[in-house]
Amino acid sequence: MTATATALGDGVLDELRGILGGDEYVLPDLPARVNRTRVPAPFPVHRWGEFLPDVAVLPRTTEQVSEVVKLANRHGIPIVPRAGGTGLADGAVPLRGGIVVDVKLMNRILDIDLVDRTVTVQTGINMLTLNRELKAHGVIYPDDPASYPCSIVGGRIGTSGWSLIGGRYGHTRDLVISMELVLPTGEVIEVGDGGGRKVRKSSTGFQLKHLFMGHQGTLGIATEATLELVPRPEVEFAAFFAFSDYGTAWEATGALAKSGLATLAGVVLFDEWKLAYLRRDDEAYIPQPPTVRAVIASAMYGARDEVEPASRRLMRIAKETGGKYLGDEISQGDWASRHDRYATPLHGRLKDGQVVPMCWHCEDASIPYSQLPAVREKWHAIAKRYIDRYGIFDDWGMFAYTNAAYKPWGDYLTEIDIGIWEQELDEESWRGWVQCKREIAEVALEHGGSITACHGATRAGDVELVPQEMGGGFEVMKKIKAALDPNNVMNPGKYLLDQAYEGENGREAVR
Amino acid sequence: MIGFTLRAQRPPEPRRVNDDVVERFEHVLEVAPEKMTEHVQQQDIPAWDTHRIVGGRWDHLDWMHDHWADSVLSTGIEPEIAELGEPMPSEERS
Repeated sequence: MTATATALGDGVLDELRGILGGDEYVLPDLPARVNRTRVPAPFPVHRWGEFLPDVAVLPRTTEQVSEVVKLANRHGIPIVPRAGGTGLADGAVPLRGGIVVDVKLMNRILDIDLVDRTVTVQTGINMLTLNRELKAHGVIYPDDPASYPCSIVGGRIGTSGWSLIGGRYGHTRDLVISMELVLPTGEVIEVGDGGGRKVRKSSTGFQLKHLFMGHQGTLGIATEATLELVPRPEVEFAAFFAFSDYGTAWEATGALAKSGLATLAGVVLFDEWKLAYLRRDDEAYIPQPPTVRAVIASAMYGARDEVEPASRRLMRIAKETGGKYLGDEISQGDWASRHDRYATPLHGRLKDGQVVPMCWHCEDASIPYSQLPAVREKWHAIAKRYIDRYGIFDDWGMFAYTNAAYKPWGDYLTEIDIGIWEQELDEESWRGWVQCKREIAEVALEHGGSITACHGATRAGDVELVPQEMGGGFEVMKKIKAALDPNNVMNPGKYLLDQAYEGENGREAVR
Repeated sequence: MIGFTLRAQRPPEPRRVNDDVVERFEHVLEVAPEKMTEHVQQQDIPAWDTHRIVGGRWDHLDWMHDHWADSVLSTGIEPEIAELGEPMPSEERS
């Protein structure tokens, strides 16, 4: 069965009301749908209506989610899971209408286990909210995206998120021990590392947990998750260093990341373009003179007895590699703002310097450390060409963040931030933007990287390159998709997975 | 009636920081007014409201520190920026 309807009838809406227990949990009105159409990433606003869902629903239990998914299969209606809607790919953007399953009311803490060091939650809970509750117990769930105050556990699972302090504590895939999941057919299963919701390491069976991380809503909806608890840090230490050139800062970044200091949570390299942006337009303005052309941010967390001596060693390494300390006020203040980058009011500049409101595109890639300087040059050159041609883009500079879990070396979450004057977009400039994005992603692959470290690769400009990056693995993705989602109802159209229903399967794409 | 007039607490004249930025209060930086004339108009904000916004931001950052750890370790080391020499030859920025 495939979906062919363009809108839901009253019968389907009544069924949804029956499943969810009331009108207030079924939202077919236009504002509710418009508000669940896009995410903060650049969006073709001139074609907004193409991405409207037909209805949004607000389940409160796993059983309700399961019944909604079964309904979707019976009627052939697309399902799109949505958590915080803060993603920078388009996992939560409906491509073919249908039912948006908004999990924000599934926000209960179900179990805090201080003996086995886990917390079990419904996936609609926000990490900041969770950690406010956990503080009284002396523990913390250390998943720390730039959207920390507003993103949600379910979305972190759906995108396989990256954490600012992952070099110390791991990233979402490392911090989610197990989860309860509604499959695309409505069956409910538990997946983890083997069985047992609180088991961190097992060799039983396939390692299914990773399969259900970062699928962008194409393989089901996580409804509960058992999460890692770590001791609440006694001490935070942040130190920022200035450099007069990028090359020296890049070498210093490597030296710090390879220091072996176990409390080191992350190292971040800001390039010259980023410093220029901070000087002119960012609320986290770092008022440094033109002699400063690169900055390194670093941070440590842990017990005071560990962090104090480690901080002295970190300061020594930075000094020996050419860094000049920016002082406690800037280091501490700016680091605190790194937990909350979505609070930044976004504006950028046209080529004449005039301010315009801009949305934020953060192109992320995983890049080996050795390749950072070359990728940086190519990315800025690409951005410049499109800025010159279209006049509605602005280069906001690059960051490179340590990307590995539990060890801050190896590859880096590398991002170039580009402002887009979204109100001026038309189809020509949108296509130009997608091509710009594609060229940026191609450079990541040319240099042995991955086209995304944490956002996902579902968007135009990225998704065409997924088969190239995944190679034979993309064929496996299609087989898994077809096996788990026989009716192609779960976020159809994403990740080129409609191809799973072509050929011998003889199925049409949903809608 | 609830409201205010700019005359009630007019902010001081700005000090030029660079081509793009001005400063009216210490560490409070604003886009230079002449760069907000065509597409986005700069608003008049009385001094008390600027202080309220900035104070709220610092409260938020303090809260964030407290949220993540019991205490913040300081170095006590003064900023060392003056030790940096001349900038490297400029690269062309877009």
